[in-house]
Amino acid sequence: MKSRKILIAVLLIFLVSACLSVFILRHSDQQTVEIVQNGTVLYTFDLNDTQDQIIRISAPDGGYNLVQIQNGTVCIAEADCPDQTCVKMGTLQSDYLPIVCLPHKLIVRFAEDAS
Amino acid sequence: MNIRRLTELALLSSVALIIFVIELRIPNPFPIPGVKLGLANIVTVYAVFRYRPSETAMIVTVRLLLGAMFSGNPSALLYSAAGAIACLCGMLLLRRSLPEKQIWLCSVIGAMFHNIGQITAAVILMQSCGVIAYLPILLVTGSLAGAFTGLCTQLLLYRIKR
Repeated sequence: MKSRKILIAVLLIFLVSACLSVFILRHSDQQTVEIVQNGTVLYTFDLNDTQDQIIRISAPDGGYNLVQIQNGTVCIAEADCPDQTCVKMGTLQSDYLPIVCLPHKLIVRFAEDAS
Repeated sequence: MNIRRLTELALLSSVALIIFVIELRIPNPFPIPGVKLGLANIVTVYAVFRYRPSETAMIVTVRLLLGAMFSGNPSALLYSAAGAIACLCGMLLLRRSLPEKQIWLCSVIGAMFHNIGQITAAVILMQSCGVIAYLPILLVTGSLAGAFTGLCTQLLLYRIKR
Protein backbone atom coordinates (compact mmCIF):
# COMPACT_ATOMS: atom_id res chain seq x y z
CA MET A 1 0.00 0.00 0.00
CA LYS A 2 2.73 2.39 1.02
CA SER A 3 4.87 1.39 -1.95
CA ARG A 4 1.98 2.14 -4.29
CA LYS A 5 1.79 5.69 -2.96
CA ILE A 6 5.54 6.09 -3.49
CA LEU A 7 5.21 4.72 -7.02
CA ILE A 8 2.46 7.23 -7.83
CA ALA A 9 4.52 10.10 -6.38
CA VAL A 10 7.55 9.07 -8.45
CA LEU A 11 5.46 8.82 -11.62
CA LEU A 12 3.99 12.27 -10.97
CA ILE A 13 7.42 13.86 -10.48
CA PHE A 14 8.63 12.11 -13.63
CA LEU A 15 5.74 13.35 -15.77
CA VAL A 16 5.89 16.91 -14.43
CA SER A 17 9.62 17.15 -15.07
CA ALA A 18 9.23 15.61 -18.54
CA CYS A 19 6.73 18.37 -19.42
CA LEU A 20 9.00 21.03 -17.90
CA SER A 21 11.99 19.68 -19.85
CA VAL A 22 10.14 20.10 -23.15
CA PHE A 23 9.30 23.66 -22.13
CA ILE A 24 12.87 24.40 -21.04
CA LEU A 25 14.48 22.99 -24.19
CA ARG A 26 12.52 25.31 -26.55
CA HIS A 27 14.64 27.54 -28.72
CA SER A 28 14.98 31.15 -27.70
CA ASP A 29 14.43 34.30 -29.72
CA GLN A 30 16.40 36.52 -27.36
CA GLN A 31 19.52 38.19 -28.71
CA THR A 32 21.28 39.52 -25.61
CA VAL A 33 23.79 37.15 -24.11
CA GLU A 34 25.67 37.54 -20.87
CA ILE A 35 28.71 35.75 -19.53
CA VAL A 36 28.65 35.28 -15.78
CA GLN A 37 31.40 34.02 -13.54
CA ASN A 38 31.05 33.47 -9.80
CA GLY A 39 27.79 35.39 -9.80
CA THR A 40 29.15 38.56 -11.45
CA VAL A 41 28.36 39.55 -15.04
CA LEU A 42 31.61 39.86 -17.01
CA TYR A 43 30.30 40.60 -20.53
CA THR A 44 26.97 41.48 -22.08
CA PHE A 45 26.53 41.66 -25.84
CA ASP A 46 23.94 41.59 -28.60
CA LEU A 47 24.35 38.60 -30.91
CA ASN A 48 23.00 40.53 -33.92
CA ASP A 49 25.56 43.28 -33.97
CA THR A 50 28.61 41.66 -32.45
CA GLN A 51 31.48 40.74 -34.71
CA ASP A 52 32.66 37.16 -34.81
CA GLN A 53 35.24 36.83 -32.09
CA ILE A 54 36.68 34.64 -29.39
CA ILE A 55 36.71 35.80 -25.77
CA ARG A 56 39.13 34.21 -23.37
CA ILE A 57 37.88 33.91 -19.80
CA SER A 58 40.30 32.91 -17.10
CA ALA A 59 39.07 31.02 -14.09
CA PRO A 60 40.32 31.75 -10.57
CA ASP A 61 42.03 28.35 -10.43
CA GLY A 62 44.19 29.12 -13.47
CA GLY A 63 42.02 27.40 -16.08
CA TYR A 64 40.35 29.07 -19.02
CA ASN A 65 37.36 28.91 -21.36
CA LEU A 66 37.23 30.28 -24.91
CA VAL A 67 33.77 31.67 -25.70
CA GLN A 68 33.20 31.87 -29.45
CA ILE A 69 30.72 34.18 -31.14
CA GLN A 70 30.02 33.26 -34.75
CA ASN A 71 27.16 34.09 -37.15
CA GLY A 72 24.85 35.17 -34.35
CA THR A 73 25.43 32.10 -32.18
CA VAL A 74 27.52 31.65 -29.09
CA CYS A 75 29.28 28.54 -27.86
CA ILE A 76 32.28 27.53 -25.79
CA ALA A 77 34.98 26.56 -28.25
CA GLU A 78 37.60 25.32 -25.86
CA ALA A 79 38.13 24.70 -22.16
CA ASP A 80 40.93 23.12 -20.21
CA CYS A 81 38.73 21.27 -17.75
CA PRO A 82 38.76 17.47 -17.87
CA ASP A 83 35.04 16.90 -18.45
CA GLN A 84 34.57 19.18 -21.50
CA THR A 85 30.81 19.19 -20.98
CA CYS A 86 30.49 22.90 -21.76
CA VAL A 87 32.22 22.38 -25.13
CA LYS A 88 30.01 19.40 -25.98
CA MET A 89 26.85 21.38 -25.15
CA GLY A 90 27.33 23.29 -28.40
CA THR A 91 25.62 26.58 -29.14
CA LEU A 92 23.38 28.41 -26.71
CA GLN A 93 19.78 27.82 -27.75
CA SER A 94 17.35 27.89 -24.89
CA ASP A 95 16.20 30.76 -22.71
CA TYR A 96 16.23 28.72 -19.56
CA LEU A 97 19.11 26.32 -20.08
CA PRO A 98 22.43 28.17 -19.83
CA ILE A 99 25.77 26.72 -20.89
CA VAL A 100 27.57 26.05 -17.64
CA CYS A 101 31.10 25.05 -16.87
CA LEU A 102 30.92 23.60 -13.38
CA PRO A 103 34.69 23.40 -12.71
CA HIS A 104 35.21 27.06 -13.65
CA LYS A 105 31.89 28.35 -12.29
CA LEU A 106 31.13 29.97 -15.64
CA ILE A 107 27.66 30.56 -17.08
CA VAL A 108 26.76 31.73 -20.59
CA ARG A 109 23.07 32.63 -20.84
CA PHE A 110 20.45 34.76 -22.55
CA ALA A 111 19.45 37.95 -20.78
CA GLU A 112 16.35 40.08 -21.15
CA ASP A 113 16.55 42.12 -24.35
CA ALA A 114 17.48 45.68 -23.53
CA SER A 115 14.98 47.58 -25.68
CA MET B 1 33.90 -4.83 12.67
CA ASN B 2 35.40 -8.21 11.96
CA ILE B 3 37.83 -9.00 9.17
CA ARG B 4 35.25 -10.77 7.03
CA ARG B 5 33.05 -7.69 7.06
CA LEU B 6 36.00 -5.40 6.33
CA THR B 7 37.06 -7.51 3.36
CA GLU B 8 33.53 -7.54 1.96
CA LEU B 9 33.32 -3.76 2.18
CA ALA B 10 36.72 -3.34 0.54
CA LEU B 11 35.71 -5.72 -2.23
CA LEU B 12 32.47 -3.84 -2.85
CA SER B 13 34.31 -0.50 -2.90
CA SER B 14 36.77 -1.76 -5.48
CA VAL B 15 33.98 -3.25 -7.62
CA ALA B 16 32.22 0.13 -7.51
CA LEU B 17 35.44 1.90 -8.49
CA ILE B 18 36.08 -0.47 -11.40
CA ILE B 19 32.56 0.09 -12.71
CA PHE B 20 33.06 3.85 -12.26
CA VAL B 21 36.34 3.89 -14.23
CA ILE B 22 34.90 1.73 -17.02
CA GLU B 23 31.89 4.04 -17.26
CA LEU B 24 34.23 7.01 -17.75
CA ARG B 25 35.36 5.37 -20.99
CA ILE B 26 31.82 5.16 -22.38
CA PRO B 27 31.10 8.32 -24.39
CA ASN B 28 28.16 10.24 -22.96
CA PRO B 29 25.43 10.79 -25.57
CA PHE B 30 23.81 13.60 -23.54
CA PRO B 31 25.98 16.73 -23.45
CA ILE B 32 24.32 18.07 -20.32
CA PRO B 33 26.33 18.53 -17.12
CA GLY B 34 25.41 15.95 -14.51
CA VAL B 35 23.70 13.48 -16.85
CA LYS B 36 25.22 10.06 -16.34
CA LEU B 37 24.21 6.43 -16.22
CA GLY B 38 25.78 6.00 -12.79
CA LEU B 39 26.39 2.27 -13.07
CA ALA B 40 28.56 2.37 -9.94
CA ASN B 41 25.38 2.96 -7.97
CA ILE B 42 24.42 -0.67 -8.52
CA VAL B 43 26.89 -1.35 -5.73
CA THR B 44 25.49 1.48 -3.60
CA VAL B 45 21.92 0.19 -3.85
CA TYR B 46 23.11 -3.35 -3.16
CA ALA B 47 24.94 -2.15 -0.04
CA VAL B 48 21.90 -0.19 1.15
CA PHE B 49 19.91 -3.43 1.28
CA ARG B 50 22.60 -5.76 2.56
CA TYR B 51 24.72 -3.67 4.93
CA ARG B 52 24.34 -1.23 7.79
CA PRO B 53 23.93 2.48 6.91
CA SER B 54 27.35 3.37 8.31
CA GLU B 55 28.99 0.63 6.22
CA THR B 56 27.21 1.81 3.08
CA ALA B 57 28.39 5.35 3.80
CA MET B 58 31.96 4.06 4.02
CA ILE B 59 31.76 2.35 0.62
CA VAL B 60 30.32 5.49 -0.97
CA THR B 61 32.95 7.77 0.61
CA VAL B 62 35.81 5.61 -0.66
CA ARG B 63 34.23 5.46 -4.13
CA LEU B 64 33.78 9.25 -4.24
CA LEU B 65 37.28 10.17 -3.12
CA LEU B 66 39.15 7.62 -5.23
CA GLY B 67 36.78 8.19 -8.16
CA ALA B 68 37.54 11.92 -8.15
CA MET B 69 41.23 11.07 -8.15
CA PHE B 70 41.01 8.52 -10.98
CA SER B 71 38.83 10.68 -13.21
CA GLY B 72 41.29 13.57 -12.81
CA ASN B 73 38.40 15.91 -12.07
CA PRO B 74 38.60 16.84 -8.39
CA SER B 75 36.40 19.91 -8.85
CA ALA B 76 33.47 17.62 -9.65
CA LEU B 77 33.86 16.07 -6.19
CA LEU B 78 31.73 18.70 -4.43
CA TYR B 79 28.80 18.15 -6.78
CA SER B 80 28.97 14.39 -6.68
CA ALA B 81 29.45 14.37 -2.89
CA ALA B 82 26.37 16.56 -2.36
CA GLY B 83 24.42 14.25 -4.66
CA ALA B 84 25.66 11.10 -2.99
CA ILE B 85 24.82 12.33 0.52
CA ALA B 86 21.28 13.30 -0.50
CA CYS B 87 20.88 10.00 -2.37
CA LEU B 88 22.01 7.91 0.61
CA CYS B 89 19.70 9.73 3.02
CA GLY B 90 16.72 9.18 0.70
CA MET B 91 17.43 5.51 0.13
CA LEU B 92 18.16 4.70 3.77
CA LEU B 93 14.87 6.33 4.81
CA LEU B 94 12.95 4.31 2.27
CA ARG B 95 14.53 0.89 2.42
CA ARG B 96 12.39 -0.27 5.33
CA SER B 97 9.08 0.65 3.71
CA LEU B 98 9.64 -1.05 0.35
CA PRO B 99 9.12 -4.77 -0.35
CA GLU B 100 11.78 -6.89 -2.07
CA LYS B 101 10.11 -6.61 -5.44
CA GLN B 102 10.28 -2.82 -5.46
CA ILE B 103 13.95 -2.24 -4.92
CA TRP B 104 14.16 -0.50 -8.30
CA LEU B 105 11.78 2.15 -6.94
CA CYS B 106 14.18 2.87 -4.10
CA SER B 107 16.93 3.35 -6.65
CA VAL B 108 14.77 5.74 -8.69
CA ILE B 109 14.09 7.84 -5.60
CA GLY B 110 17.78 7.72 -4.73
CA ALA B 111 18.58 9.04 -8.21
CA MET B 112 16.07 11.87 -7.80
CA PHE B 113 17.57 12.84 -4.43
CA HIS B 114 21.01 12.67 -6.03
CA ASN B 115 19.97 15.16 -8.72
CA ILE B 116 18.37 17.50 -6.20
CA GLY B 117 21.56 17.41 -4.11
CA GLN B 118 23.72 18.10 -7.16
CA ILE B 119 21.63 21.09 -8.23
CA THR B 120 21.60 22.47 -4.68
CA ALA B 121 25.39 22.31 -4.62
CA ALA B 122 25.56 23.96 -8.05
CA VAL B 123 23.22 26.79 -6.98
CA ILE B 124 25.32 27.46 -3.88
CA LEU B 125 28.69 27.22 -5.64
CA MET B 126 27.77 29.15 -8.80
CA GLN B 127 25.77 31.73 -6.81
CA SER B 128 23.12 31.67 -9.48
CA CYS B 129 19.58 30.32 -9.56
CA GLY B 130 19.75 29.80 -13.34
CA VAL B 131 21.09 26.27 -12.96
CA ILE B 132 17.77 25.16 -11.40
CA ALA B 133 16.55 24.93 -15.01
CA TYR B 134 18.61 21.76 -15.29
CA LEU B 135 16.65 20.03 -12.54
CA PRO B 136 13.68 18.76 -14.60
CA ILE B 137 15.99 17.37 -17.29
CA LEU B 138 18.20 15.74 -14.68
CA LEU B 139 15.15 14.29 -12.93
CA VAL B 140 13.89 12.66 -16.14
CA THR B 141 17.24 11.20 -17.19
CA GLY B 142 18.15 10.43 -13.58
CA SER B 143 15.03 8.42 -12.86
CA LEU B 144 15.48 6.40 -16.06
CA ALA B 145 19.09 5.67 -15.12
CA GLY B 146 17.99 4.94 -11.55
CA ALA B 147 15.36 2.46 -12.75
CA PHE B 148 18.01 0.68 -14.81
CA THR B 149 20.58 0.43 -12.02
CA GLY B 150 17.80 -0.53 -9.61
CA LEU B 151 16.69 -3.42 -11.82
CA CYS B 152 20.29 -4.58 -12.08
CA THR B 153 20.56 -4.54 -8.29
CA GLN B 154 17.30 -6.44 -7.92
CA LEU B 155 18.63 -9.21 -10.17
CA LEU B 156 21.86 -9.24 -8.17
CA LEU B 157 20.06 -9.50 -4.84
CA TYR B 158 18.09 -12.50 -6.10
CA ARG B 159 21.21 -14.22 -7.37
CA ILE B 160 23.52 -13.51 -4.42
CA LYS B 161 21.56 -15.09 -1.61
CA ARG B 162 23.01 -15.17 1.84
